[in-house]
Amino acid sequence: MSRIDFQLVNKRYAPGLPLTIKQADLTIDHGEFCVFVGPSGCGKSTLLRMVAGLEDITDGDLKIEGRRMNDLPPSQRGVAMVFQSYALYPHMTVGQNMAFGLKIAKVDKASADKKVREAAEILQLSHLLDRLPKALSGGQRQRVAIGRAIVQQPKVFLFDEPLSNLDAALRVQTRLEIAKLHHDIGSASMIYVTHDQVEAMTLADKIVLLHAGKLIDERGSVAQYGTPMDLYHRPASLFVAEFIGSPKMNLLSGSLVHAEAQHADIDVIGIRVRAAVDARRLPPGSPVRVGVRPEHAPVADTGEGAGLPVIVTHVERLGDVSLLYVTAEGAAKGPLTVRMEGSARPDPGTRLTVRLRPHDLHVFSSEGVACPRTVDLPV
Amino acid sequence: MPMVIDKSQRWRLLAAHAFLIVLCIVVMFPFLVVLSVSFRPGNFASGSLIPETISFEHWRYAFGLPYQAANGQLVEPDLPVLRWLWNSVKVATMSAMITLLLSTTGAYALARMKFKGRNHVLTGLMLMQMFPAVLALVAIYAIFDRLGSVFPPLGIDSHWALLLAYSGGIAMHVWTIKGYYETIPYEVEEAAKVDGASPWQAFRLVLLPMALPILVVVFMLSFIGVVIEYPVASILLNQQENLTLAVGTKLFVAEHNFKWGDFAATAILSGLPITVVFVLAQKWMIAGLTAGGTKG
Repeated sequence: MSRIDFQLVNKRYAPGLPLTIKQADLTIDHGEFCVFVGPSGCGKSTLLRMVAGLEDITDGDLKIEGRRMNDLPPSQRGVAMVFQSYALYPHMTVGQNMAFGLKIAKVDKASADKKVREAAEILQLSHLLDRLPKALSGGQRQRVAIGRAIVQQPKVFLFDEPLSNLDAALRVQTRLEIAKLHHDIGSASMIYVTHDQVEAMTLADKIVLLHAGKLIDERGSVAQYGTPMDLYHRPASLFVAEFIGSPKMNLLSGSLVHAEAQHADIDVIGIRVRAAVDARRLPPGSPVRVGVRPEHAPVADTGEGAGLPVIVTHVERLGDVSLLYVTAEGAAKGPLTVRMEGSARPDPGTRLTVRLRPHDLHVFSSEGVACPRTVDLPV
Repeated sequence: MPMVIDKSQRWRLLAAHAFLIVLCIVVMFPFLVVLSVSFRPGNFASGSLIPETISFEHWRYAFGLPYQAANGQLVEPDLPVLRWLWNSVKVATMSAMITLLLSTTGAYALARMKFKGRNHVLTGLMLMQMFPAVLALVAIYAIFDRLGSVFPPLGIDSHWALLLAYSGGIAMHVWTIKGYYETIPYEVEEAAKVDGASPWQAFRLVLLPMALPILVVVFMLSFIGVVIEYPVASILLNQQENLTLAVGTKLFVAEHNFKWGDFAATAILSGLPITVVFVLAQKWMIAGLTAGGTKG
């Protein structure tokens, strides 16, 4: 079982500096693909490097398979890592790069060769084994870096933003390869760091979203830990709701009028809105934020839910959908985003009605904590 | 030429070339004079640049072969020039290797490891190197004289003593190598560590091969430095057969007996090992050794 446990892990780079990681308490299960995601400066790479043993741990315990790892050097942890910058050995051929770890471990040449060939086969690198890294393209280099990790047959794979140096097409392709690799290897756990939420959503079994800046100190490093659908449909806080999803979730200020077990009524810019949330822990009259994702806010004059009159300010057409930037009449806060199927292009200044349907709404308290949603949602 | 060039540029180009040609002549002239003196019969420092008669007597002398003097006598060379050359090459090679060993490891610690007082050590090294070794000659002599009475292999007139004295002068090389290490991405070593390498293996198998060009440069600089070094060698070495070429050639220009011809031939000979090392080393002084390891 290659289970990884973080037990109240703290990291401070130097005395006097604020904590980079505060009270990270996580469990990554055997064979699980876990993605660390967060804005820049949230410490996601630090957390990963602590698993690798490239950063020491200030407080708390890190365990792999129940064994405390804090004081073990990287070589004894049974991990393999793929770096953002590839970090290949430039003076060795592709084959030597991949065999380096085996050579260090004094694996005999024949079986090392066999492992390298197998890994090269999986990654379609067989014809490149005798080349030097400088003769490879970016995508090939990254595959060599992945190959170097595979031949180690580690208990844990660590990926530090492996795709961020690749161009868009290659990124999609390599993303698929990594997903396939995870499926094929199965038994090893993988931790993957990225700032790209598409990578996080598509690859992860579990996502760990990390706080950045002063939120680390206020609420600890981990903002939310769960499946991609959890984070998308059941964000625990305003921070999570705003981070996950593109374009960002729209937020409207309002005040709670009345809360019941299954729904709550909220006043938003003078409009009575019903949301399918359990807001009973908030007293009536308390200020709340109502969130609705652009893809969940249909434009229609009539239909379910409250109608929010808006004025179009700008339109972006993407072909399959159009993104409408609109302002709600009477709302001081910046523009809202609405996603419309097709390639409609309403002129700026057009008046439309956006429907706020109860089962699409999120409600957050003034501290940014989400009220539990009461509708059935995908897992 | 693909670029369009202003007319005045041509004159500037011409002037630059003229200047460089003059500079080349100025630099080459002393060497040509020495070459000329070495082929001139007799021991005269002045004379025409192109000798009227060519004589190999000084070169025969340098190579330890008997030669016919002006009065028709067959003269046996009295000074072991080839022995000196061998001493120089031996001491320079070993000293360059010791320098490499000490400065690569020292620079690694200063470039990659975090410890208290690291910056002070660096500045200290730099400051110490600013005092020329000549200022410490008395001290060096006293130290090795005393050392020799306890442990003769490290005493006066021993090449080991000379090596030990030279191995102290690595501060500049440490700085040079440290600067080069810092241009090598640290992630590559981290990758090696995750691959299971110990710090020593990461250093030996990953960092050192990538630093090859600077190692070659440092090897050459310290080799040349030892071959041409005079003051320390001159006080640590006394016996004729122990001298290095730089010290030995001084014997040709003793007070009442200036053997300029022999001096010139020997001087050119001392350039030989340096040239050989340079030609051999050039193969390894290649750019772009770290290319392809990391992005951008």
